[in-house]
Amino acid sequence: MAASVRHLLKPWTPSLCLMRWSRYNPYYLDPDPSKDARVPESELSPEEKELQELKTVSPIKAALSSDTSSAFNDPLISKFINMMMHDGNKILARGIMTQTLETIKRKQVEKYHKSPAAKREEIECNPYTVFHQALENCKPIIGLASVQKGGKSYQVPVPLTDNRRRFLAMKWLITECRDNKHRRTHMYEKLSQELLAAFTNEGNVVKRKHDLHKMAEANRAYAHYRWW
Amino acid sequence: SSTDGPKSAHFDICSKNLKYKFSENAFNTNILKRHSGQYYTLPPTHIQKLFPYGLPPRFQLQIKTFNEGCVMVRPPALELISYLKRADYSKPPLRYVLYGDIGTGKTMSLCHALHYCYSQGWLIVHVPDAHLWVKNCKELLPSSSRPSRFDQPIQASQWLKNFKITNERFLSKVQLERYVWTKRESTEKGQPLGELIDQGVNRMKSSSDVVGAVLRELRLQAGGATEGEGAFKLAVAVDGVNALWGKTSLKKEDRTMCEPEELTLIHNLRKMMKNNWSGGAILTALSQTGSVFKPRSAYLPSELLGEEGFDNMEPFVPVSVSNYNEKEFESCYLYYLDRNWLQHPHSRSEEGKKELIFLSNKNPSILERLCAFL
Repeated sequence: MAASVRHLLKPWTPSLCLMRWSRYNPYYLDPDPSKDARVPESELSPEEKELQELKTVSPIKAALSSDTSSAFNDPLISKFINMMMHDGNKILARGIMTQTLETIKRKQVEKYHKSPAAKREEIECNPYTVFHQALENCKPIIGLASVQKGGKSYQVPVPLTDNRRRFLAMKWLITECRDNKHRRTHMYEKLSQELLAAFTNEGNVVKRKHDLHKMAEANRAYAHYRWW
Repeated sequence: SSTDGPKSAHFDICSKNLKYKFSENAFNTNILKRHSGQYYTLPPTHIQKLFPYGLPPRFQLQIKTFNEGCVMVRPPALELISYLKRADYSKPPLRYVLYGDIGTGKTMSLCHALHYCYSQGWLIVHVPDAHLWVKNCKELLPSSSRPSRFDQPIQASQWLKNFKITNERFLSKVQLERYVWTKRESTEKGQPLGELIDQGVNRMKSSSDVVGAVLRELRLQAGGATEGEGAFKLAVAVDGVNALWGKTSLKKEDRTMCEPEELTLIHNLRKMMKNNWSGGAILTALSQTGSVFKPRSAYLPSELLGEEGFDNMEPFVPVSVSNYNEKEFESCYLYYLDRNWLQHPHSRSEEGKKELIFLSNKNPSILERLCAFL
């Protein structure tokens, strides 16, 4: 392994124009589009100082065209839009996402204006917090993996990485809205209903998460089949 | 003015001037130039009666969400209202044409001026979108009365129903002429207007002709009686006037394109646009968004009306509608903050506001769509 890494670290000049989808060398850094004010040197810890120096010296990957430097840019929402996208139609996927956020906000603000002053504090009108919280409520904690032992395959409870959990939550939301709803409703309507339900821990997606947890709990006996 | 949402220091000072609530009896008469930029609340009863269908769809959504209908007072509407106040109604009606780029607020200004007319007790003839009469008509019947014309029963009966809701007070007006619909049905001289409208709503086949008859009656009677009972002023409001003289996207049965003159509804509306009657005003607005076969960059009267339309509408009073200026943008921004509409924390900061100005170029409709998901 050391030999292959050393091969990559040999003197290499960036004379070629690298496209986003080719494999980058591991020492390429991710682009950071945020416009955060530069913290003066004295307040940085030694590791952060090293990181800053690395940024000035090492090459950086090309930025995605969907990333903006404005504070309205949200990586979770971008990821969700990419997952909803079909045949590369990003415009349509982004339109559906903005319509979903608008619908969520409209429902909540309508509720806000019609309720008495005492109950107004509890109603969450910000569609971004609703989305984040709903996604959190849909993420499973533990998953199942299929392990073959003695000719038979068992469903073994397994810890999941953060990326996998986020992916599963988004995937379940999208498939639930695509398959199990009435065919004549728009996608943004279906999504907004599911998200608002997940925000209060109700609805089919949260039920699916709970079913997965129950299966994992039921298969506890096979937990020691996992060797990683 | 009511403020229940989150507040910041500068917002508190401005919010006192944000909404001016007029008393019941003084609608719109006391509106002055210094109120420009402030929001005027439309009373819910008036919205139900006057605008069951006439407001832009996104504004209707906004009314539903905020639980109130607030219109910003802007210079074009103020100009229109001042002309309406000072016009001489014994002379033929003046034609006002609102024109401007897409999304600048022509329909909203028209509705504002129309509300002024309604609150003064005028009779309202409101065509919310003339483009709906020249495209996408499912049923196009050959006319029962004249051989070369085509009827649109659904659109005509829908319009008659809405006319009835708006002008309930005037339904007992006496009419003049005798109209014959079929061999057995006719409306006699001296019957109230309400019966004529019921005739049109119930008998779909002759509803387009009923619309023509109603318009003719109103034209004859508007300038008739001077004072006392029976005197009324007529406000004709048409949104998307360029549809009357443009092309249609409807086809006849032999697959040739239909001309606008061949449609009964359009023909009667064109007669209404002429100023050979007296005792009212004609308020119109151009519209490119619903128009057929017109490029998106066209917004001037000469481009959208075409030669024929311009000659027919001339002479008219043009009123230009443009994007928000800084004060109006501030007012709109504060209104959204007040109604708890701008939720994203960055949009409430100074930098976010600058971004909104940049992205929307202070265009009212684009700003509304941006703030919808932020």
